[in-house]
Amino acid sequence: MSSSEAVRCSGLVRRFGERDALAGLDLAVADGEVVLLTGPNGAGKTTLLRVLATVLRPSAGSASLYGHALPGQAAPARRLVGYAGHEPLLYPLLTAAENLRLYSALHGSDGAEVESALEGVGMARRAGDRVEELSRGMRQRLSLARAMLHGPRLLLLDEPTSGLDDEGRGVLLTLLEQPGRTAVVATHEPDWFAGVAGRAVAIDRGRVAV
Amino acid sequence: MALVRKDLLLELRSREVVPAMATFVLASFVLFRFALGGDRLGGGVRAATGLLWVAVVFTAMLGLSRAFASEREHRIWDGLLSTPVDRSALWLAKACSTFVFLVVMQAVALPLFWLFFLQEGRPPSIPVLVAALLLADAGIASLGAMLAGLASASHAREVLLPVLFLPFAVPLVLVGVQVTVATISPQTSAMDTLERLGFLGLYATIFALLGWALFEYVVED
Repeated sequence: MSSSEAVRCSGLVRRFGERDALAGLDLAVADGEVVLLTGPNGAGKTTLLRVLATVLRPSAGSASLYGHALPGQAAPARRLVGYAGHEPLLYPLLTAAENLRLYSALHGSDGAEVESALEGVGMARRAGDRVEELSRGMRQRLSLARAMLHGPRLLLLDEPTSGLDDEGRGVLLTLLEQPGRTAVVATHEPDWFAGVAGRAVAIDRGRVAV
Repeated sequence: MALVRKDLLLELRSREVVPAMATFVLASFVLFRFALGGDRLGGGVRAATGLLWVAVVFTAMLGLSRAFASEREHRIWDGLLSTPVDRSALWLAKACSTFVFLVVMQAVALPLFWLFFLQEGRPPSIPVLVAALLLADAGIASLGAMLAGLASASHAREVLLPVLFLPFAVPLVLVGVQVTVATISPQTSAMDTLERLGFLGLYATIFALLGWALFEYVVED
C-alpha cells in the first residue's frame, strides 16, 4: 500500500447478526483528498465510518488507515484519526472545556490545546458552560473541536452539517479547505460540499454503487 | 485518572447513583427488620450479618446497572473508543469509580446496620467486617465493571446484568458472611480470619486480571 493512501478497504464486511451492513465494500482514499459518502439511510455510510474510526471491528475483508491494518494495528491508527459522529459524543453534565480536557487526556496530551480548540470553533466564551446548556449547533461545533483536538491526519465526519448553525458551517468549510486536508464525509447534502470535496462515492446496501 | 475524575464529577453533579444506592440499602434494612422479626430478628446477629451481605450485593448491582449509563445513552462509547486510550484503562477507571461509590454507600449503610440489627448480643469485629467489605468491594467493582460493560451493549441489559453478576457474587456472600460471623465467636483463630480475607483478596485479584485482559473484547464488538 502506498503511504500517500489514507484509507483502503477491500471486500469489507460488517455484520450485525444476520444483516450485512457492509457487504464487500471496496474504497480507497488518497492522502489530501476529501471524499463524500452519499446514499440512502441504512446504506452503510455510518457503519463504514465507525469501522474506520476503529469503533467497530470488520467481520471480514480488510481495512487499513495509512498502512495500519484494522483491527490489528488499530492503536497507532487511532492517533491519526478524528471522528465526529451523529451525536456530539460529549458528556452533557460536563462543561465544554472539561469535555475537551478529558479527550485531550485520552489522547495523551496535557490539555494545553483545549483553549485554542475552543477558539477555533468560536466557543471560547462558552468554555465553562455545561454541554447540556448549549444549543444543538454549538454542540456540533464542539464535536468538531473534539474531533480535531489532537491534530488528526484523517477526519471522519458523519452528517456534520446536521444541526450545525451558520457559524459552525463556516468553521466546517474552513476546516475542509485547509491545504492537504484528508476527510471522509457521510452526507445527505453533497451539493453543500461541492467546493471542497474531490469526489463523491455512492454507497448502497453496503457496497459502493456502480 | 482523567476518566475516574470524570465519573466522580458526573456523580457529584447528577447525584444519580450513590443516593439511590443509599436509599435502597436503607429500604432493604427496614424491610428485613420488619419482615423477618420485628424488633427481634430471628437468628440474631448471624442472620443479620447475612442480610448485610445480601444487601451489599443487591445494592452494588443497582449501582452497576448505571455504571455505563452516560456512555450508552449519549453514544459516548464511540468517542472514547476512537481515542488511543487502552481499553483496559476504560475498565480500570470504571472499576475505581464503582469502588468509590460502594465505599461511600457502605459508610452510610454500616451505622444503619448497627442501629437496626446489632443492639443486642455480641457484635462482629468491626475491623474484620470493614476489611472484608473493602476486599469484597474490590472484587465487585472488578467483576461488575466488566459485566456492566458487557451488558450495556445488549438490549436486555436490565435482565442480563443480574443474570451474569449474581452467580459470581455467591462466593463473596458465603465467605463474607463466614468471615464476619466467625469473629462473633471468641474461639475463632486469627489464621481462619486471614484465610477468608485472603480468599476475598484472591477473588478481587482474579477478576481484576480478567477485567484488565478481556475488556477490549467486551467493548469492541
